[in-house]
Amino acid sequence: MKNPLNKRILREIKEDIGKYLVIFILLVASIAFVSGFLVADGSMVKAYDESFEKYNIEDGNFTSKNKINRAQKKNIEVFGLTLYDNFFAEVKLNNNDTLRIFKNRKEIDKVCLMKGEFPKKADEIAIDRMFADNNNLKVGDEIWDSHHKWKITGLVSLSDYSCLFSDNNDTMFDSLAFGVAVVSEEGFDFKEEELNYRYSFIYNEKPKDETEEYNRSKDLIEVLNNEIALKDFIPRYANQAIIYAGEDMSGDKQAIVVFLYIIIVIIAFVFGVTGANTIVKESAVIGTLRAMGYEKKELIKHYLMPPLIVTLISAITGNILGYSLMKDYCAGMYYGSYSLTTFVTIWNGEAFVMTTVIPFIIMLLINYLVLSNKLSLKPLNFIRRDLRKNKKKKTMKLSHKLPVFTRFRIRVIIQNLSNYLVLFVGIFFANMILVYGLIFPSLINHYQSNVKENMLCNYQYILEVPSDVFDKNHKLESMVNLLMYFNEVETENEDAEKFTAYSLKTIPGKLSSVEENVAIYGVKDKSRYINIDFKENDVYITKAYADKYLLKTGDTIQLKEAYKNNKYDFKITGIINDEATLSIYMPIKDANKMFDLGDSYFSGYFSDTKITDIDEEYIGSVIDITALTKISRQLDKSMGSIMNLLNYFAMLIFFVLVYLLSKVIIEKNAQSISMVKILGFRDLEVSRLYILATSIMVVLFIIITIPVEIWLVKIIVEVILRTSISGWIAFYLDPFLPLEMFALGVATYAIVVIFEYIKIRKVPKDIALKNVE
Amino acid sequence: MFLELKNIKKSFGDGDSHVEVLKDISLQVQKGEFCVLLGPSGSGKSTLLNIIGGIDNADSGEISIMGESMSNLKEKQLTNYRRKHLGYVFQMYNLIPNLTVRENIEVGAYLSDKPLNVDELLKVLGLYEHQEKIPNQLSGGQQQRCSIGRAIVKNPDILLCDEPTGALDYSTSKEILKLIETVNNTYNNTIVMVTHNDAIKNMADRVVLLRDGKIRKNYLNEEKIAAMDLEW
Repeated sequence: MKNPLNKRILREIKEDIGKYLVIFILLVASIAFVSGFLVADGSMVKAYDESFEKYNIEDGNFTSKNKINRAQKKNIEVFGLTLYDNFFAEVKLNNNDTLRIFKNRKEIDKVCLMKGEFPKKADEIAIDRMFADNNNLKVGDEIWDSHHKWKITGLVSLSDYSCLFSDNNDTMFDSLAFGVAVVSEEGFDFKEEELNYRYSFIYNEKPKDETEEYNRSKDLIEVLNNEIALKDFIPRYANQAIIYAGEDMSGDKQAIVVFLYIIIVIIAFVFGVTGANTIVKESAVIGTLRAMGYEKKELIKHYLMPPLIVTLISAITGNILGYSLMKDYCAGMYYGSYSLTTFVTIWNGEAFVMTTVIPFIIMLLINYLVLSNKLSLKPLNFIRRDLRKNKKKKTMKLSHKLPVFTRFRIRVIIQNLSNYLVLFVGIFFANMILVYGLIFPSLINHYQSNVKENMLCNYQYILEVPSDVFDKNHKLESMVNLLMYFNEVETENEDAEKFTAYSLKTIPGKLSSVEENVAIYGVKDKSRYINIDFKENDVYITKAYADKYLLKTGDTIQLKEAYKNNKYDFKITGIINDEATLSIYMPIKDANKMFDLGDSYFSGYFSDTKITDIDEEYIGSVIDITALTKISRQLDKSMGSIMNLLNYFAMLIFFVLVYLLSKVIIEKNAQSISMVKILGFRDLEVSRLYILATSIMVVLFIIITIPVEIWLVKIIVEVILRTSISGWIAFYLDPFLPLEMFALGVATYAIVVIFEYIKIRKVPKDIALKNVE
Repeated sequence: MFLELKNIKKSFGDGDSHVEVLKDISLQVQKGEFCVLLGPSGSGKSTLLNIIGGIDNADSGEISIMGESMSNLKEKQLTNYRRKHLGYVFQMYNLIPNLTVRENIEVGAYLSDKPLNVDELLKVLGLYEHQEKIPNQLSGGQQQRCSIGRAIVKNPDILLCDEPTGALDYSTSKEILKLIETVNNTYNNTIVMVTHNDAIKNMADRVVLLRDGKIRKNYLNEEKIAAMDLEW
């Protein structure tokens, strides 16, 4: 015979449909999102991993100042690798975006066609799918620069540009203003000076592990330095354009799963609290069943069923939605940030375990512990409705000077402390999500305005110094070249001010595991743009640098040269107010001396107006507001919509938790509410007694949690920025943000109050008179 | 002897609030006997019933059913003991509110390997027409009949009734007592009933009068009358 108690499980769910429905919605929303995310993530990570073989992605690349000859190629290939030409040219499009154009690749870093077809004619081009999306370009459209015009024939994804980093040293990629494209063999007709001589390579024998890969790279740099004028070297493991998307996808997975488990734990405790309340309500029945011979485990099993059924149905529904609707939505989130190749949805067993099995186990364990503890009393205690474990616990004395209603409310609060504890944890978690959701846009906005305010000048021109200037083997020739170069890069622009720029790398240490670029500026005396009266050996660092590496005046920092072992020490004289870049400023003479560049050397101009009289050939890059705000633009593009989603989700969690737990409080006190109604209290007065107690706690929790969470989020954000991201975004708290959070919390609670009031109104007066179940 | 209690003692509280509820109670009840425990409030009758039912422990003394001692039984064994031998009826019916009459009775049947036929029992209880109703659609008497049905459907050796008519009016009380009498006659269960209604002693086989935790009288009722003939 089946246990007849099972017949009441579905009835129980039906009778308390409000409770189960809101939990169901919250669980389905969470599980659908996480399941969809994991399925999309798993499928895309698989596609990404397989793309290395499928598209024959390079093991690394280097850029030479000049085209290398056959002999040099041969000498390099002796190292145990095969070289492939991967030349590119960069053009400024009509809308000022930069497009890096390659010849369509046949052997290495092959291209995935997402839409349309590959270019065949000279005036045809296939551009990156995401760059096209971000710039509203489609197949059939035309794009042009000052010398060319192309018709877009296809949208593609370049396997070595899953993330659109224009420069591997950049803090953030820029899919809005930078894109990649391929043209046909015929279409790749750029002048020599327009070409970048990039060579991609594949090791003949793959390195066994990362250490071997790292050591091989070091050895290869030496080989390259001996053979060619090396401009840039990027091994695959350090190539952000290739690895960033893969690492981000893996990192997101962990965070999203933890997020789900926190929600499940909170909901499990909510079920625990409501289950405990049901046991109180049904104590006489439970006592009778126990007296009749029902075992404790049979009753635990019985009361465990509703939360487990709801969890299971939610998980199944969530997974169905995850595999159908949410998968595409989540994949879209990645496609909105990364230029990934196509993927095929694969069954993800791990996602099923993480979104169904583990939540079920968490729900089972927590509820089992709560119910087992609650049902551990003897049958007689249940029959007598005497469920207090600690009988000696004395009633808290309250001063008679307090008004009776105040004492009443304090008693309600004391009686429901366990509910309020779960409520506190829930509000803490919901507010934490809200802080993330709200702080992020304000952080980005502040960063952008801060960059604008603290810009040294409107344009920084970094000159492209010919490689033969530094040829130690041909000193005389180098000097002649240098003189010619300096002659060519002189400007008539009166706003222009020379500086020396040099790039060094940080040495990974306790604070940061990444090696990142620090720009060293040599600045002229009485500079118009740097408002510092430099003395000899003065070294000023930017506030961003000081904040990220916790540096102060008087500290000594050590930096190293990229791909070399030279190290340089700098003793900090002061800090300048630039929250955006990691830079060092020193007198130009000191800089030139330190890097052995010659007294009259300079490598760029600060200017408030555009410099038009220097040949573009000599201008390596221009740092303007667009370049400086790249990080914030991209973050806003990639994360903005997620942050909005987080805000809605936080409010949903907040609503569900406050609604459920305040409902329990009213149900628990139904008899007392009924009694005070009989005594003549009006509904509004009764509501003030019971709702106000919860209101006080909710408002108190909101007030307590906001500053704690802001403090916590600040620590978390700074740790992430310090340890795993290049560059720095200063933490900024909009002064209105705590008020906004408070207002959102209170507004959400106001909706709950309406439900609470309706519930109190519905409590019948005869409950107090009936002494039956 | 079917049910035997020897020197049962029970007290509650410490120090000044220490109360001795049962003082050296010894009692024997035969198989199929209808035993009434009578006494005023605080006499210890409900405590004694709870100890017999294994839902409360005696401080000292011995209880045995069919020669099987239950003094040293652990919680799990006590549960099995109740499952196997006992049926319980309380003053408050304690029915499961969202189960029908039939289902409430089946909750009892589930505990037994050889339960009574539920349809027949519903007829005996006079609830056959109401079997699909839920408890709050029933009168107090019908609810109590349902709780009796739930207790006896597993055909327990002993039916323990704690003030089963305490919440009912005169005529309904008589109906319930008649039902208990019928059950006793039909199924030959041993019945131990706690009541403070003196009239009920007249339908019992054995009457045990308790006062201040002691048995003041314990006798076999030679002039037993039918439940319907009771007057109070």
